[in-house]
Amino acid sequence: MKKFILFTLSILMLISCNKEPEIDSSMLDSGLYFDQSIYQPEKYLVSASVPAPTPAQAVSPVIIAIHGYGATTFEWDEFRTWKGSRTDFSISQVLLGGHGRDYQSFKNSTWRDWREPIVTEFEKLEKAGYTNISFAGSSTGSTLILKLLAEGYFDSHIKPRHVFLIDPIIIPANKTLTLVGVLGPIIGYTKVDNTAGEEKYYYHYRPYETLQQLRDIINEVRIDLQKGVTLPVGTTLKVYKSDNDDVADAASAVLIHKGIVSSTGNAPEIAMIPSKLHVFTRLNHRENTPASSDIANQTKAFSEMAYVLIK
Amino acid sequence: MMNYKPGILKALGLIIVLQLVCQFSFGQVHTFEAGFRLQKTVDLYYENGISGQYHLTKRITLGATYLSSRLGSAIGSNAIKQDNFLLSGSWMFRPKKPLKPFVRANLGYFIADYESDVFKSLTNTSAIASLDAGLAYSFKSPLRLNLSLGYNAITGSGAKGAGTLYPVFYQTSIFWNLAKRKSK
Repeated sequence: MKKFILFTLSILMLISCNKEPEIDSSMLDSGLYFDQSIYQPEKYLVSASVPAPTPAQAVSPVIIAIHGYGATTFEWDEFRTWKGSRTDFSISQVLLGGHGRDYQSFKNSTWRDWREPIVTEFEKLEKAGYTNISFAGSSTGSTLILKLLAEGYFDSHIKPRHVFLIDPIIIPANKTLTLVGVLGPIIGYTKVDNTAGEEKYYYHYRPYETLQQLRDIINEVRIDLQKGVTLPVGTTLKVYKSDNDDVADAASAVLIHKGIVSSTGNAPEIAMIPSKLHVFTRLNHRENTPASSDIANQTKAFSEMAYVLIK
Repeated sequence: MMNYKPGILKALGLIIVLQLVCQFSFGQVHTFEAGFRLQKTVDLYYENGISGQYHLTKRITLGATYLSSRLGSAIGSNAIKQDNFLLSGSWMFRPKKPLKPFVRANLGYFIADYESDVFKSLTNTSAIASLDAGLAYSFKSPLRLNLSLGYNAITGSGAKGAGTLYPVFYQTSIFWNLAKRKSK
C-alpha cells in the first residue's frame, strides 16, 4: 500500500512539474504584441492625453472602459470607433495589470494587480480636476468595478456618475473553475481557441495561477453581493447581460440585481440581451461574421451609454 | 364538533405518521431514520434541510431529502433562493461495523427563484443526478452521523441549464433512528 501511495505521489509530482506551454510568435503570450496603450498612453488614457483639463473639459463626461480577463484594450476599441469624432464625452481605455504583455507577466499577476491601473487612472483624473467620471466594464472588468464599490473605495473619492456592466462574471458558465485549486497544479494551464485575429489581443494560454485569481475575485464579489452593496450617492448602475453566454453565466445578472441597491434603495437596471456572445459589444475578429442582431445589440448599448453619459 | 386549529391537526398527523413508520419498521425488521442535512456547495451556497432514510437491507438504504438555500445562505442575505428535491439509494460497506463507508446515487429536481420578470428567459429548473461517497458512523444510541463528498453530473453551462447548479458539494447528515433495531 505504501508503495502504491509513493508511486501515485511521484506520478502526480511529475505531471505537475514543468508545465510551461509552447508559445509561438503569433500569440500575444509571446511578448511580441504588447498592448498599444503601453507605448502610446495618450491615445488611450484621458489622464495622458489631457492631463490639465480646462474648466469645461473637467466637467465633461469621461468613461473609464475596462476589459476582461485575458483580454486587452482591444475589447473596447469598437466603442471608441463608434464614438468617432464626438467631443461630448471621452473614453479612457485602461489595460489591466498583467495583461497585454506576455505569458510570464500574466502568470505572475494577481487580481489586485489587474485592478491597479483602474484605480491609478481614476485617481489621476480626480487629481487633475475631472468631476464627471463613469465606468464601463466588460466581463471581469465589471467584477473588478463591483469590488471597488463593495469595498467602499468611493467613500473617500468623488463618486462615479454611472457604471455600465457588460456581461459581468459572478457565476462562471464553466463550473470546472471551482476545481482549479485541485486540478490547476496538475494541468498547469488551459488554452483558448482564439481566432487568428484574436491571437494578438487575447492571451492564448491561461496559467492556472490566474484562473485561481479569477476564481478568488469572483467568489469575493459574489459574497459581497450576498451581503449587499449600496451604490454611492448619485451613482447609477446598469447591467447588460447576454442571456446565452458560455463564459459568464446569465445568472450573474440575477446576483447583481439582488445584491446591489442605489443610495435611494432602488435595484439596478438590467437589460437581458438575446445573444450567444460573451461581451456582445465586441464584434471584431469573431469566429463568425456578426449577425445583424449582434450589430443592433452593440449599437443600442453604445447609444444608450452615450445618452446616459451626456444627459 | 370541536373547532381544532389546522396547526394542531398537522402536528397530530405528523406524530401518527411517525408512529406508524415505527410500527412498520418493527414489523418489517427494517428501520427508518429521520434527520437534518447540512450541505455546502464548493464556491456557492450552504443548503440545508431534512432527510429520511429507510433501511431496505443491511446494505441498501433508500432516502428522500429536501435541501434549500432558504434554510442556509439565503437566510438574511441576497443569496438566490433555491430548492433541491432528492431521492437516493445508498450502498453500505461493512454494514455490521459502527463506521461504514457508503456510496449513494441521487436523482431529483432543482428550482431557483430569480424573483424578477426580467429573468424569465433564463432557465431556473433542472434535473439533478449526483453521486456522493462518504462515511457513516452509528452510535450506540439511535444517532447516526454521515459525512460525504459529492459530484453533480448536471450543472448549468451558461448555454443551458440552471446557472447556480454547481458540481462539487460536501455534506453532513445527522439521523435519529425512529425504530432502532438491527436488520437481519
